[in-house]
Amino acid sequence: MAGAIDVMRAQLHATIYWYKNNRWLFFTMFLWPYLMVGMLLVVGVMFGSMKEYASRMGVSSPGFFLLSASTVAMSSLGIVDAVAGFALYNRWLGTLNYIVLSPMRTTLIFLAAGIPDSLITMLITVTSVSPAVLYIGGLGGGLRLLLILLVMLVGMLPLLGLSVLAASLLLLVKEESNIINSIVPFMLLVSGVFYPVEILPGLLQAVSRAVPVTYVVRAARIASVFGGLRGAPLIAVFYSLLLLALAYNGAASLAIRGAEERVRMRGVD
Amino acid sequence: MPGDWAIIAEGLVKRYLTYARRGFIRRERRIIEALRGVSFKVNWGEVFGLLGPNGAGKTTTVKILTTLLLPDDGNAWVAGYNVVDEPVRVREQIGVVLNVEKGFFWKLTGRENLRYFGMLRGLRGRDLEDRVDEVGGMLGLDKLGAMDKLYEEFSLGMKARLAIARAMLTDPPVLILDEPTLGLDPHSARGIRSLLVRLARRGKAVLITTHNMFEAELICDRVAIINRGRIAAIGTVAELKRLVTDTVPINIVFTGLAEDGLESLEKLVAERLGTPARISGEDRGYRIRMLAKPGEEDRIIAESISMLSSMGLKVHRVYVEEPSLEDVFIKVTGGET
Ligand SMILES: Nc1ncnc2c1ncn2[C@@H]1O[C@H](COP(=O)(O)OP(=O)(O)O)[C@@H](O)[C@H]1O
Ligand SMILES: [Mg+2]
Repeated sequence: MAGAIDVMRAQLHATIYWYKNNRWLFFTMFLWPYLMVGMLLVVGVMFGSMKEYASRMGVSSPGFFLLSASTVAMSSLGIVDAVAGFALYNRWLGTLNYIVLSPMRTTLIFLAAGIPDSLITMLITVTSVSPAVLYIGGLGGGLRLLLILLVMLVGMLPLLGLSVLAASLLLLVKEESNIINSIVPFMLLVSGVFYPVEILPGLLQAVSRAVPVTYVVRAARIASVFGGLRGAPLIAVFYSLLLLALAYNGAASLAIRGAEERVRMRGVD
Repeated sequence: MPGDWAIIAEGLVKRYLTYARRGFIRRERRIIEALRGVSFKVNWGEVFGLLGPNGAGKTTTVKILTTLLLPDDGNAWVAGYNVVDEPVRVREQIGVVLNVEKGFFWKLTGRENLRYFGMLRGLRGRDLEDRVDEVGGMLGLDKLGAMDKLYEEFSLGMKARLAIARAMLTDPPVLILDEPTLGLDPHSARGIRSLLVRLARRGKAVLITTHNMFEAELICDRVAIINRGRIAAIGTVAELKRLVTDTVPINIVFTGLAEDGLESLEKLVAERLGTPARISGEDRGYRIRMLAKPGEEDRIIAESISMLSSMGLKVHRVYVEEPSLEDVFIKVTGGET
């Protein structure tokens, strides 16, 4: 009987060799965070100058904030894509049946399979922005980026749950209605990456509180106030993320178990 | 005891629910009865063929036996484990080939793909490398240069070999293969067939589905004929052929017939001679195949030759043959497919 570790090793192997065989795609991965910076910048200064944008966001270093916000956005994208996209991608390839045939619970496969790719995307993104971060913020900036990475790792937990929830839905609906394509842009829109959450309508503000990315962005904002680093708000961010992790992963493990039964009734492809 | 048999299928029933669009909003619910009570048993050490036309229910049966699909009714055991209640145990005992055209990562090589699926089955380190090399050699992937070639550059023959190599990774006692030689070049098909027979001689149970009667006759120790979700007949090829000892296939090769005369000639022969007849193309002419009852051969041959000659057709050759699995198939399914 094989286990979660085997799934993660296999997935890591597949991703590494996939990049090895597609080197130019590997290198473009390092460009994406900067394209994201460009996009954030365009939306950010749409309503005024760079200075106004910085004060709206309440950050003293808008450059650092843009870089870290882009890191958060790219990583979130990577996580949702790796976890929720796993079923879709492998169904399309015809590999899903053979993966399900591994001697272990299907639920376990779905929970474990997205983790290596999520970590790799995160690693690539952080590596890609760090030269710019070091240039803008020096060693202190580098340390702040590490802090954000730490928050992102915690933020990955609820995002994984949310993605597995999406994956169960995808397994149930037969159509290739790719809901993950709309999940990430929506999460980013309400997360405060582009503008402060406070200017959103009340309903969307409430929704944004249930979106894990919001808290990671909040941490990025806190880290972008150079000078003294406030500890209490950061602790609050950690607690919120853990709470969301508990809620989403609980719901996800119920949903995926239900999906596993339904899928066996109807076939996975 | 379920474990005495490699595979037991007992009254398997499966219905698919589909929705056909009728107009813009209305959807019509339709139930497709894919399996209507399929039962058979497979021995250890035999190649067992599930033979049937497209849509007969072969793939559905395979998916149930491999735990990918739950039956609506009935039950099945593989290597003594129940496919409904013990899916993980069953998965440990089987190697599976579903659709030889796909099922691998396009941007990985043969070797990288095999490693991936080996890892998913718990292989690692030296063990994994050894097994990958071994199955690669067994299927001739190394000689074809396919181990270090990207899957996207594979021929269909290589794809099929890789799919069987994957099924062999953990050297499982039971192999279940859904049309493994479909569309393959003769060389690959022959290689795969002889490998399956060798594996069975070593004690493995091999279940293959096919719609190729020739293939079933060639390699299967026993055959179950499946049609419209039911098993129509089951037995060794010789046993099945005994079902049609009351028919003698007669073939007449002739030329001179116009394309559009085919069907009417079939009907005419059937009417006048009182035997089912089928006409097929032969190089530069046609072959009419009639099923005579024993003792009737001489009359049928004489009458059909004079009939064809009177129509201005030229008869080249007449021969009587052994009944084939195709005749068995036509008989047990009543000709309907
Ligand atoms: N997922 C599905 N949904 C609806 N109908 C299906 C599905 N899979 C198979 N069928 C139908 O079930 C019947 C048996 O199919 P299948 O088992 O694939 O036959 P075979 O493999 O012998 O060609 C066919 O009529 C087919 O159209
Ligand atoms: Mg089929």
